[in-house]
Amino acid sequence: MRKTSRRRIKKKKRSNFFSEIKSVFSFKSTLLILFIFILPLLDRNAYHIDVLVTAGIFMLLALGLNVIVGSAGILNLGYAALFAIGAYTYALVNIHLHIPFWIGLWVSAFSAAFFGMILAFPAIRLTGDYIAMVTLGTGEIVRIMLNNLDPITGGPNGLLGIEHPTLWIYDFGVHSTPYYFLIFALLILIIFILKRIESSRLGRAWIALREDELAASCMGINPVWAKLSAFGIGGFIAGIAGSIFAAKQGTISPDSFDFVVSVTVLAMIVLGGLGKISGVITGALALSLLPELLRGFDLYRMLLFGLAMIIIMLFRPQGILGEHHQEEFKENLFERKTSQ
Amino acid sequence: MTARDVFIQQVTNGLTIGMIYALIALGYTIVYGIIQLINFAHGEVFMVGAYLSLFAFTLFSGFFSGTGGSIFFLVLIFLFAMLGTSLIGLMVERFAYRPLRGAPRLAPLITAIGVSFLLQNSVMLIFGPTDKSFPNLIETKKISFGAVTLTNLQILIAVVSLSLMIILHIFIKKTKTGKAMRALADDREAASLVGINTNRIISIAFLIGSALAGAGGVMFGMYYHTINFHDGYLAGLKAFTAAVFGGIGNIPGAMIGGLLLGILEGVSAGYLSSEWKNVFAFLILILILLFRPSGLLGSRVVKKV
Amino acid sequence: MSGCGQASNSKVIKIGCAAPLTGDQAQIGIDKCRAVKLAVQQANEKGIGVPGYTFEVLSLDDQHNPAQAVNVAKKFVSDPDVIAVVGHFNSSCTKPASAIYHEAGMTQITATSTNPELSKQGFKTFFRIAATDDVQGPKGAEFAAHHLAAKKVFIIDDKTTYGKGLADEFERKSKSLGVEVLGHEGITQGDKDFTPLLTKIKSLNPDLIYFGGIYPEGALLLRQARSLNLVSEFMGGDGLTTPVFVELASAEIAEGTYATMVGGDMKKVPSAQSFIKAYEAQYGEIGQWSAYGYDAANILIQAIQKAGKKNRAAVLDAMRQIPSFQGVTGEVVFDEKGDNKNQFIGIFKVEKGKFIYIGPAE
Repeated sequence: MRKTSRRRIKKKKRSNFFSEIKSVFSFKSTLLILFIFILPLLDRNAYHIDVLVTAGIFMLLALGLNVIVGSAGILNLGYAALFAIGAYTYALVNIHLHIPFWIGLWVSAFSAAFFGMILAFPAIRLTGDYIAMVTLGTGEIVRIMLNNLDPITGGPNGLLGIEHPTLWIYDFGVHSTPYYFLIFALLILIIFILKRIESSRLGRAWIALREDELAASCMGINPVWAKLSAFGIGGFIAGIAGSIFAAKQGTISPDSFDFVVSVTVLAMIVLGGLGKISGVITGALALSLLPELLRGFDLYRMLLFGLAMIIIMLFRPQGILGEHHQEEFKENLFERKTSQ
Repeated sequence: MTARDVFIQQVTNGLTIGMIYALIALGYTIVYGIIQLINFAHGEVFMVGAYLSLFAFTLFSGFFSGTGGSIFFLVLIFLFAMLGTSLIGLMVERFAYRPLRGAPRLAPLITAIGVSFLLQNSVMLIFGPTDKSFPNLIETKKISFGAVTLTNLQILIAVVSLSLMIILHIFIKKTKTGKAMRALADDREAASLVGINTNRIISIAFLIGSALAGAGGVMFGMYYHTINFHDGYLAGLKAFTAAVFGGIGNIPGAMIGGLLLGILEGVSAGYLSSEWKNVFAFLILILILLFRPSGLLGSRVVKKV
Repeated sequence: MSGCGQASNSKVIKIGCAAPLTGDQAQIGIDKCRAVKLAVQQANEKGIGVPGYTFEVLSLDDQHNPAQAVNVAKKFVSDPDVIAVVGHFNSSCTKPASAIYHEAGMTQITATSTNPELSKQGFKTFFRIAATDDVQGPKGAEFAAHHLAAKKVFIIDDKTTYGKGLADEFERKSKSLGVEVLGHEGITQGDKDFTPLLTKIKSLNPDLIYFGGIYPEGALLLRQARSLNLVSEFMGGDGLTTPVFVELASAEIAEGTYATMVGGDMKKVPSAQSFIKAYEAQYGEIGQWSAYGYDAANILIQAIQKAGKKNRAAVLDAMRQIPSFQGVTGEVVFDEKGDNKNQFIGIFKVEKGKFIYIGPAE
């Protein structure tokens, strides 16, 4: 009897580890992951890979914003600010302190997370459209500060000479391919972690917060901590995206972090399906590829982009992969200033 | 130029742009008061107004030569622009916002942003991406009060803006439609229960707001003499700040908010630094939202606990 | 290390043109690229170049945004048909882009970027035909001090690499000439309302206002200054010298504005007349920068012909061996840094609605 029970215990342990991974990565997604990694070998066009790298950065941003807007239900219109802080932090520590990319990545991620949490403080008191305006304002303030603090940020001319990542003796340089692998490896890792958080207490706290803040706090969920962590994690991811962006470009300037970027990421997650990881990834991919597909119509790009947003919202307001329960979102959270 | 002169000059300049902010802010506040939507496309409507007046000028300048018809010409241009922007406002409401009234909260916001891109880029495609020079619609005359200089243009802006605001105020307070709008802003369900045609009133709200923004756009073009399809974005943002500043949903609030914002901006730019002008505007926004979200005059939005 | 693109077998040699093609500075960018196209068109017609190959121009828009400029540079570099680039327009764009071209060994010639730092980076791929701001700024200061009797000046710049660089040079020289600099402030490109700053300047009562920046902001500054009854002289650099400046400021208000330009009066150069005619026949009114784009493109074409093959390294070598080039903007002789040894600064003034050349800056 004992023998079998021990064997059964051993089996349970092993299956736990694999079932963890299995719960996140189904057979379909594993195939997808394999395909992603083989793609650069099949399609050697540098331009295509570059587009996918850009899409990848947007996917990271979409995941990060989704934590704040989709999971925790806090409308953030200034996400580009956190992206910018990540990029500029890495640029500055790299240029002045010669900190290499792999450490700079962490530095910028934490600094963006920190700023994110500072941003969270107004969110504690405000809800709905008000926090949207605050984030919009801070997004603009950050961009203007980057433009005006010439001695530190290089002003409108930006910062040059940011080093590319190096892996032992291999310099990433300007080729897109190493960034491609880096980003997609990170994406998989982050998706995994996010899915784990989703099913954890924190994730459920976010859902409760999103659906009804008053009820959530009555149930013992600390909204302050939930909001802080949402902004912190969202910021952390933005920081990662920012440092990769800076390292790849070699040059950054405030124009790359304006309201249009914030809105684009927001549009990606709403159009793809707010709250769902697969949705936001799809949205990010679609909206990244769309301008490239429309490259022949360069002048019409943003016009068609706007038109697409309108049409998709008219016919599928929950997003392409969104679920219908999202329609139960209250029409306007403005009146629920419940934390007072 | 004495220090007092400098101050007065900064304030008068600030007031001028403040009037224009106020006109745009009214559109935001009226719409938000009734349907709780931040109409992101509103700033673009303002910009379209500026372009429409330029278009009207080129269209009709053949008919008007000599100073005899210039007042009439000016009025015509205003009406043309305001009519055009009202139409656009109506169409946007009807086709982009109305279908989404029951949709998830974020949907109309995304649509609004989409409309804003659509308007901006349509203008860019039709009129070109470079700054467009705005002609002199009236001959600029400078009037000096000592060292302080005013132009007749600034006086015109003040007169037109104040007149429009007064007309609006009377409309809201005295007419049936105005009362209906106030009723909708107070309690939409109850208003429809007493027989108010919600859709019609909302359309009228958009019409009024867009017309005012159009007038603002004309005067913006006249004042700065160059217009660009990007002008709507920043002006719209500041006007929204002004609306929140005065109390979102509160019509006198939007007016006061606009004027005050213009003055604060001008004074801070003149005495502290021009570069940080916009930062001050946004900081005001954030501080107001944090410490007095109901704004200066108190907001008027539906409060359901 | 050349670009990551695959070798191309097409019989097309592309010359890139990088400039702002959309947005507020689009006009000058378009002016430049049109002239590049004209040069290429004429080369094709005359059969100049590499036998069996035709030239084409690939124009890409950098919207005077440095990060965008980097993307544009990368696109050029990864296109195997592109052999050389005329670009960029703004110094703030040329600077980061030059690193990309350098890494790829691709010839880059800028017709218009005047910031001195650009040629100090040690990039063998960098060439420029315009004069530099460490000459333009001081010469402007001399003109202001000696010919305009400016004893008190206020300096404004648009904070870009070009604008600030030029304004700083002007300031330095002015101070050394004993001129009192009442203040030096930056404005943001894209801003519209400068009345607070101008009100402040009015109270300081300078003889001259100097603006280091480009024509959209320049025109607004001038207009608003005049409407405040600010009567100081107004002067700027080459960023102002385009007909669009006069259009935006209105001929009446722009009258009497001075500006330095990194070149002389094109209309006086005989060889320029046929160029002007050809340009105007095809595109209408000629822009201030068109001639520079034309010369830059023609230098490239000559180098490509000399190299004799569609190869970036060969073209780069040929560039370095050109002893001198007679263009419509004057003679171009490259020094080891890639700068033009002939640094001619002209003074222009707006008279009767046009920028008129009034003489060399002494």
